[in-house]
Amino acid sequence: MRKHITNIRVENEENEINLTPMLDVVFIMLIFFIVTASFLREAGLDTNRPDQDQPVQTQDEEGAILIIVDETDDIWIDNRIIDPRAVRPNIQRLHAENPDRPVVVQVSASSRAETLVTVMDASRQADVYDISIAEAP
Amino acid sequence: MRDSVSESMAEEEAEINLTPMLDVVFIMLIFFIVTAVFVKEPGILVDRPQAVTAEIPDGGSIFIAVSSNNEYWIDQRNVDLAGLKPIVERMHRETPEGGVVIQADNEAQNEYVIAAMDLAKEVGIDEVTLAAVVP
Repeated sequence: MRKHITNIRVENEENEINLTPMLDVVFIMLIFFIVTASFLREAGLDTNRPDQDQPVQTQDEEGAILIIVDETDDIWIDNRIIDPRAVRPNIQRLHAENPDRPVVVQVSASSRAETLVTVMDASRQADVYDISIAEAP
Repeated sequence: MRDSVSESMAEEEAEINLTPMLDVVFIMLIFFIVTAVFVKEPGILVDRPQAVTAEIPDGGSIFIAVSSNNEYWIDQRNVDLAGLKPIVERMHRETPEGGVVIQADNEAQNEYVIAAMDLAKEVGIDEVTLAAVVP
């Protein structure tokens, strides 16, 4: 009787596939993908570059809030040089006067990227998210 | 004989059944494989500008770096503007839903940053993000 039962049991065990190594591999792959998935996060600012064939009208007084960044990284609003820290209050004031106006940043070719990001950030802080980037002629 | 049946049943109950867990793990694995966008790092560390309002875009998978001396870096290689376009086109074909992230150095000139933006637009990518770090 005893012998008979052990025989059956051994046969049963051999028929079963051992899943443990596969489970190990699957877990390692899972951990790998979870870890790599969280690495591809890069913060940034959305940009809006108008089409070449229909450039935004930057000369229009009421059309847009025009901010000019010149080649010496000075920021101009309304023909005045603005300190980088004062960009946000200036945009806020203009935004309060007419909330529909988008911001157009006209950057000089040789200005630094930091200045562009500063202006864009200031505009977003002033709640104006419609920012177009134009290159100075 | 009857006794032996009940004995083997008791033995079976003592073993943990791994199959449902395996199912869940497999589904998670497939989910992560499908959602994983393999990022090709530009291959250069740039000093990114700071911005308080920087946010993480939904899907940025094409990284273009503009270094402080106005060189383009993509996929571990230093290329010029003419060489950048075929690479961006190829990467766009591989992951059509991914946007472009331009990592411009603080000192990079905007001429090159804007040229990279225009290139992304030419290739047909509307979602262009300018990388920044939250201070």
